[in-house]
Amino acid sequence: MSVAVGIISGLLMGVVFGFALEKSRVFEPGIIVGQMQLRNWIMLKVFLSAVATGAVVLAFLNGFGFVKLQPKAALYAADIVGGLILGAGIALAGACPGTTLAQIGVGYRDAIFTLLGGLSGAVVFSYAQPWLAKSLIGTGTKLIFTDLAGIPYWQGALALAAAIVVILVLIEKARPWRKDLGSDVDGNVAQRLPRPHRRLAPVD
Amino acid sequence: MSPFDRAWSPYAAGVLIGLLQIPAFLIIESALGASSSYVTVGAAIAGLADPSLLNIDYVAKHVAANAKNLWQVALVAGIGFGAFASMKMSGAVRAPISPIWAKALGSPSSGLRYAIAFVAGFLMLLGARIADGCTSGHGLSGMAQLSVGSTVAVAAMFGGGIATALLLLRRI
Repeated sequence: MSVAVGIISGLLMGVVFGFALEKSRVFEPGIIVGQMQLRNWIMLKVFLSAVATGAVVLAFLNGFGFVKLQPKAALYAADIVGGLILGAGIALAGACPGTTLAQIGVGYRDAIFTLLGGLSGAVVFSYAQPWLAKSLIGTGTKLIFTDLAGIPYWQGALALAAAIVVILVLIEKARPWRKDLGSDVDGNVAQRLPRPHRRLAPVD
Repeated sequence: MSPFDRAWSPYAAGVLIGLLQIPAFLIIESALGASSSYVTVGAAIAGLADPSLLNIDYVAKHVAANAKNLWQVALVAGIGFGAFASMKMSGAVRAPISPIWAKALGSPSSGLRYAIAFVAGFLMLLGARIADGCTSGHGLSGMAQLSVGSTVAVAAMFGGGIATALLLLRRI
C-alpha cells in the first residue's frame, strides 16, 4: 500500500472517528472526568459499543480468513505501570490521546496544552525507551483469551459482544444516557436544586 | 441521528467507531490506534534539534515515512477535522475551557488549567507508550481482539483514572 493511500484513508477514517466522538459527546472533559468519578456513564457506553462492534466485525473478517489479528504482546508489568500512568493522565486531561484532537477541533484551548504535553511525553519516552525496554517492558507473547481456552477466536469474540450487549442494557436501564448529557451537552450535569421559597410565616 | 443533531446515542456513535476497524484491518492491516502518532510527530520535531534521537531503533521505526505511521498521524489529525465539522453542523459553541474545570480544580484560573493540561498530556503519552497503547489501541482494538495484555492495560487505565479523579479532582 502506498503512502498516499495510507494518508488519504487515515484522514477519511479520522474525520468519521472525530465526527462520532463529537456526536457522542464522549470527547467532552465533563463526560470523561464524570466517568472517572463514576457519576457519568456515556464514556463506558461508547467504549463498550465500539468494542462489541469491533469484536463482531473481526469475528467475521478473521473467521472467514480475510484478515489476520494484530493483538499486542502481553507485557504485564508495562501494561499495569503504563496503564496506571495513562489513566491518571486521562483523568487530569479530561481526554485521551485521540479525543485531545477532537477537543482542539471544537475550540477547547487547554487541549492544545494537552497535545504539547503529550508530544513531550512521547519524546521523553523515546529517549528512555532503550533503558525501559530492558528494565520494565521486556518481551511477551501475543496472547489472546480464546487461545487460553482452546476455542476459535470468532466464538470468543461473539460471546464477548453478547455479554457487552447484556451489560449495556442493564446500565442503560439504571442510568439513561440522556440524563448524563447536561443542558449544554458537555456532561456538566449541574445539580440544580429547586430554589427554596422560604417565606416567613405572616406574623399576626 | 442527523448530522445536525447536537448529540447522538452513545450506542450509535460507538457502533460507527467500531465499524472503522473494517477499513483499518482491510486497507492498513492494522487495528485502530492513536498514541503511536505522538511519537511519530514528537520525535520527528525533536530530531531536528537532536538528530541522535533518530538513531534509537524505536524512534527510527516510528518516524519512518511509511504508510502505517503516516496513516495514524492522518487519522488523529482527521479526528480534529471531524469533530470541528460535527460541531459546526450542530451549531454548538464551546467556551475556551470547559466549565467543569473550575469545579474540578476549585479555581477558575486558565493558567492553572493550562499547566495541568500539559502535565496531564505528558503523563498520558508517557503511560501510553510504556503500555504500548492507549484507549484506542489497547481499549477499542485490544479488547475486541480478546488480547490478554490489553485487558490488563485497560483495567489499570480505568483504575488509575478513577483513583486520580476521585482523589485529586473535586466533584464535578
